[in-house]
Order: sequence, then C-alpha cells, then structure tokens
Amino acid sequence: MKPKIWSTLIIIIIIIYLLTPLVATATYSMFQKWTDIVPEGFTLKHYGDLLSNQAFMRSLGRTILVCIIPILITVTITLLALFVVTVYFPKLEKYVQILCMIPYTIQGVILSVSILSLYSGSRSFLGIRQVMLFGAYCIIILPYIYQGIRNSMHSINMPMLIEAAEMLGSSKLEAFIRIIVPNIISGITVSSLLAVGIIFGDYVIIRNITGSSFQNVQIFLFLAMKRSSTEASAVFVIIMLTTFLITALVLYVQSRDNRQKTESKGR
Amino acid sequence: MKKKTNIKLYFLALLPFLIVVFLYEILPLLMMILSSFRSEVDKSILFTLDNYITAFTRLAYQRAIINSLKVTGISAFFGIVIGFIGAQAFHNSTGKIKNVFLTILNMVSNFAGVPLAFAYMIILGNSGVIIQFAKTYGLTALANFDLYTSTGLNLMYIYFQIPLATLLLVPAFYGIRQEWKEANLLLNGNGFTFWTKVGIPVLLPSIFGTLSVLFANALAAYATAYALLMNNYSLLAINITGMFTGDMTTRPHLGAALSVVMMLLMLAAILINNFINRQTSKWRWR
Repeated sequence: MKPKIWSTLIIIIIIIYLLTPLVATATYSMFQKWTDIVPEGFTLKHYGDLLSNQAFMRSLGRTILVCIIPILITVTITLLALFVVTVYFPKLEKYVQILCMIPYTIQGVILSVSILSLYSGSRSFLGIRQVMLFGAYCIIILPYIYQGIRNSMHSINMPMLIEAAEMLGSSKLEAFIRIIVPNIISGITVSSLLAVGIIFGDYVIIRNITGSSFQNVQIFLFLAMKRSSTEASAVFVIIMLTTFLITALVLYVQSRDNRQKTESKGR
Repeated sequence: MKKKTNIKLYFLALLPFLIVVFLYEILPLLMMILSSFRSEVDKSILFTLDNYITAFTRLAYQRAIINSLKVTGISAFFGIVIGFIGAQAFHNSTGKIKNVFLTILNMVSNFAGVPLAFAYMIILGNSGVIIQFAKTYGLTALANFDLYTSTGLNLMYIYFQIPLATLLLVPAFYGIRQEWKEANLLLNGNGFTFWTKVGIPVLLPSIFGTLSVLFANALAAYATAYALLMNNYSLLAINITGMFTGDMTTRPHLGAALSVVMMLLMLAAILINNFINRQTSKWRWR
C-alpha cells in the first residue's frame, strides 16, 4: 500500500510542476493586472484584439499552409518509395532507412542553414524562399513519417496481402492503393499529426530561411513578446490550444487503433 | 521484355523520393561539409583546416561548444533522473491517474521553444508572477532570481527534457517482472538492493537510449535559448545561425565548420548509445 501513495504523490508533484507555467500564462492572458496572489480584472479583450488582428490571422493561415503541403509531399513520396522498395527491391530497404533517419541527427539548425547557403544565390525556382522552406520541412518530418508508415506496413504483412490480391486478379499497384493504403491509414494519420506538431512548433527553420517576411505563429509570438506581454499571452494560449488539440487527436486515433486490434484478435 | 519495362516503371515511383532527399538533404549536407574546408579569407583556397582550428582555439567558439555541452549535460542528467522517478511512479500506480499523467506528458512534450521561454518569462521574469509574489512576501532569495542567466536556461531545458524522458522510459518499465521483485524479497533484499542490483541494470539500455535522445534534443535546441537570451549567450546552435543570417558580416565557412562539429557531437552520442546497447545485449544473453 505504501509505495502506491508515494507514487501518486510523485505523479501529482510532477504534474503540478509541468502545468504551472502553462496555467499561469493562460491565467495571465485573461486578466488586466496580476501583482498580488489573485489576479484582478477579468477580461477577454486580449483575445478579441488578437482575433481581429489581420497580421495574426495571416500568420495562422500561413502556418496551416506550410503544414499541409510538406506533409502531403512527404507522405506521398515515402509511401511510393516504401511500397516499391518492400515489394520489388528489398535490398534497398536499408538505404532508404538510412536516408530517412539522417534528418534526425542534423535537426533544424543545421538543415536550415545548409539549405539556405546552397540555394539562396540560385536564380531558378530552387532559390524561391518558400520552395526552400517546403523542402526543409519535408526533410525534417521525414523520420517521423517514415517510421509511422514502415511500422504500420510491417504490422499488416504487406507482401502476403498483395499476393492474395494478385491471385484475385488485381495488379500490384491496384492492390497497394485499394488494400494496403486503407489498412495503414491510421498509421499515416498519426505520423502526419506528429508532423503537424513539429512544423507548428518550428521557429528556427522558418526564421533562418524566410526571415520575418514570411511569419508563422511562432515568429508572430516572438515579435509580440517584444511589444506587449498581454498580447503575446493570448497568442501563446492559442498556440498551446492548437498543439494540445493535435496531441489529443493523435492519442485518440492511437487508442481507437489499439482497441480495434484487440477486438479483432479476440474474434 | 515486359518485366524489364516494369522494373523501370517501379523505379520511377522511387524517383520523387530520391529527388527530394537529394535536393534538400544530401546535397546541402555535402556542400556544407565541403564548405567547412574552404577559407573564409581567400576564396581560391579549397581545402584548409583553418575553420576547424578557429572553432577549437578561439575563445568565443570554445565557450559556445562548452556552454552547449554544459546545458545539454545538466538538462539531460536532471531529465533522466526525474524521468526515471516519474516512470517508476507510473509503473507502481494504478487507475485513472496513470491515464491523466500520460495524457499530460504527451501534451507537454510539445511545449518548448518560443512559447516555453515566454511562459517562463511570465512566471519567473523580472516582473514575473512568482517573483512579484516573492517580493510581496519578503522571500528575498526567490525575489532576486534572475531568469536571464545560464541558470534560467538550465531550468527551461530541464523542463522540456522531463516529459520526453518520462515518456521514453515508461515502456521500459514493462520489462521489469513482478517475480523478480518477489525473488529479491525472498533473498532478503529490499527496494534499494532491487533497484541497484536488478532494476537499473535491466533498464540500462533504455536509459542510455533515452539519454542519447535527450542529448540530441538539447544540443539542437535553438528557439528556447534565443527567445530568452537573444545573441547574448554563446551556444553552438545560436553561433551557427548567427554566421549565416547575422545582420553584420556572415561567415558561412566557419559556420559550416561549427555545424560539422555539432553533427559529430550528435553522431558521437548515437554511436556511444549503440555501443552500450551491443555490450549490454551481449551480457544479457550470456
């Protein structure tokens, strides 16, 4: 009995420690003044101002755009590559894995400056800042997308399913699109959501590549911090709410997936 | 004949992947490594070690490397210790609190960078909520706390390491069997002997694996430190960025050399982890 009480206590202390900065900042955003224990003057004015702020809404729209396009590209190219490699060139699997895991060791800072120094002088479309940004985002999310897709491909025994579909008269590609992809769609969803979380939280890549000319919400928050802490606190809350929503979706899809797996095992 | 064209067709499906990876991963990295050997002063020199010599001998860059390793080491150490305690508590408890804990850890694991620095400024900055509170109630030690120092930086790095460390260690604890604990009790051991003689040795590969992730995570972190201290504190990630995008003169070749140093540090962390994993798995099967 005794260790259980201790464990609960430890968990509660860690939870309090982790939530304090979040709760304090969220509370700060909803009051006019906070100099004593209890904040004074409840108001939602900061949020009203922010949501009618054109620059903020534009940065939010930009953030969503730079999330969607790189994720679509990376999911498509990784799916195609993994399909071809597992079915036709299994010997290449190792190399694809290495290529997909390299970005994990180089991370944002080095990736962004190396892309910037390589293409910033180029006159072709490769020199367009947004193209460089999309390229960098495609690479930075690659390890996560790759692992998500590969793990779910392994869990469904893809070669056997394709063989079965071929026996029933469909082509390999058709089998892949109509059988494999629907079977691993939750794996794709989870890794795409993780990728949204990464791009949504990115500051260094977008700052290095596009500067402040192409602001996402993180850069907006950074600049708002310098102007006024109440405005920034409202931006902060909106960023954190979005991040939590993404995490909640990931957890939901994962738990639904696990439940389905245990159910189908039980049958 | 038909088979051959098919193979070509399938290779075509691999092409988009190869193009993107080549253009935005391989080529930039290769050019970065080549560029680190070029001279910052004389454009005609294609191979020199000057940049590396500068990186390791000039005091400013030495300090950046040391500061980076320091904050990485300190935050990884506290992260792993607190993460271990947290994962152990998770392992020992039952019921709803486990789910609540796991959900909060998942949520908070994305809380880093600019928002984290901002939240810390709100609670522990010069006129932060906790600081004001300490001033009102005469807690001088706390009231004099200065967030804008390496201590403040360590505090924030530790904060973002804890959820990650706990989440990575939780699955490892499933490997600890109840029978082992019972055997330990039968042999007159207590909780301390169990963890020092059985628990931690069994978890060692996971602990080192987690440490290498924490190491990479802290070493590459940029936004947290930059949002708090701007360019006033020397860190590898901040120095590298400054050499490519600075307002003054840019020094891309020296920056490239520093980038290579940072990549080597990351690689070292991964290789050490792999080595330890191999050793411990050998030892386990003996």
